[in-house]
Amino acid sequence: MMADHAEVTERTVVAELLTFLEERTKSAVTEDQDLFATGAVSSMFAMQLVVHLEEAYDVTIVGGDLKQVNFRTVRAMAELVLRLREAQGVTGGA
Amino acid sequence: MPDALTSARDLVGTLVADRADAWDAAGRLPEDLLRDLGGRGLLCAEVPGSYGGLGAGSRDSGEFTAYVGSLCGSLRSIMTSQGMAAWTVRRLGDQDQRAAYLPRLTSGELAAVGFSEPDAGSDLSAMTTSVRVEDDVVVLDGEKMWVTGACYADLLVVFARSEDDVVVVVVPTATPGVTVERIPDPLGCRAAGHANVRFSSVRLPASAVLGGTGLSLLATTALAYGRISVAWGCVGILRACLNAAVTHARTREQFGKPLARHQLVARHLAELLVSEQVATRACEHASDLWDARSPDLVTAVVLAKHVAAGHAARGAATATQVLASAGAAHGHVVARAYRDAKLMEIIEGSTEICQLILAEHAVATVA
Ligand SMILES: Cc1cc2nc3c(=O)[nH]c(=O)nc-3n(C[C@H](O)[C@H](O)[C@H](O)COP(=O)(O)OP(=O)(O)OC[C@H]3O[C@@H](n4cnc5c(N)ncnc54)[C@H](O)[C@@H]3O)c2cc1C
Repeated sequence: MMADHAEVTERTVVAELLTFLEERTKSAVTEDQDLFATGAVSSMFAMQLVVHLEEAYDVTIVGGDLKQVNFRTVRAMAELVLRLREAQGVTGGA
Repeated sequence: MPDALTSARDLVGTLVADRADAWDAAGRLPEDLLRDLGGRGLLCAEVPGSYGGLGAGSRDSGEFTAYVGSLCGSLRSIMTSQGMAAWTVRRLGDQDQRAAYLPRLTSGELAAVGFSEPDAGSDLSAMTTSVRVEDDVVVLDGEKMWVTGACYADLLVVFARSEDDVVVVVVPTATPGVTVERIPDPLGCRAAGHANVRFSSVRLPASAVLGGTGLSLLATTALAYGRISVAWGCVGILRACLNAAVTHARTREQFGKPLARHQLVARHLAELLVSEQVATRACEHASDLWDARSPDLVTAVVLAKHVAAGHAARGAATATQVLASAGAAHGHVVARAYRDAKLMEIIEGSTEICQLILAEHAVATVA
């Protein structure tokens, strides 16, 4: 996780997620790569991503936000995180 | 453990007492007992207080599940189903849906979860149950198999294929077109109300379709709860078996000394203790990750389920061996454990499916 109070922007989320994925899957991914189509992550890993995003960015991902397209690419996940932080009024650093 | 769960142990202990054998033989749990426990929030203890639940963490809820599982595998199965239904609604439901359904699950209504179908067991991608939009309603058609608790359930949480995705639909059992057919004589967890359920042009409001979509996300989410619950249930089986085997081996004498003093029997007791401890540690680890919201929970839950179910099946066989004829009557605690535990190696991801998931994880992560 990043230092406290670091500003959370699409760029920081993308960078953190790329590192997270690389550490966890032992392979490099790019921010627009379709993670599921390229087999970079398994279906079990999708849930790990959900839990990670919730914990790291203090958001809750439930209901209609819990759909695969939101986790298909690193960029999509970053957009989801920022949208939910805005909607759920999260202001602190990640 | 929240106070509510501590006192609930005494309550459940008193309510179940020595009746589990008779429930197993009859193949039925008393429905008033289920509704009473449900109304106290005890069948899905992790539901937050804002929805009338007890807000228990995974570890506390797990220990409670193990306790119930040590008394009665059928009642524990009902808890697993109710908890899985609640968890699914909590995760996949939008705000209105959570507010509509969760309070019902903590006030005495009962729920079951259906994903398996005649042609879709381990391979859920083969499911064909379908839901289509027709004007302002949705229409559900298909068949689910072996739905635990369906005989008692007011609500069925059903996985189905929509036009372009997999969704989850909440179906009141009383809706016209729903047929619940009891499985008459299951091998184990015999009173858990398993049924095959058919849906024939079942019309429901569009709001019955939960917000979340996509097979892999939905199934892994729902099953994660089911897996950790079953795993703790297996810990309960092992505790009941250890207790029965040790108690018997201490007092029963053959060849002039207690069974426990014969080395080959003593080894059985040692292995039972090891099984109980190993399964407990695996469950504690997974639940602690769950409570810490660590992404590692996903694999840890599969590992715990695999370890606990395997040990429960072997441990129950061992306990039956130690008790021999004393445990061989059908409803005896070790006889129930022997039958129930075998099924734990099949449900919520069979042993082989867990092994495939764990192997995939190992291949992907070992440097
Ligand atoms: C007591 C009980 C309660 C249940 N409760 C519910 C419930 O509440 N809701 C619900 O929806 N379903 C429920 N089920 C159904 C359960 O989920 C399925 O039985 C389970 O998913 C396995 O499917 P199957 O029985 O069709 O076996 P199959 O999928 O036909 O598998 C048969 C055997 O082949 C193995 N196998 C399959 N594929 C592979 C593979 N790729 N590699 C290696 N081995 C493989 C399996 O491990 C198994 O040993 C319940 C079943 C039981 C027995």
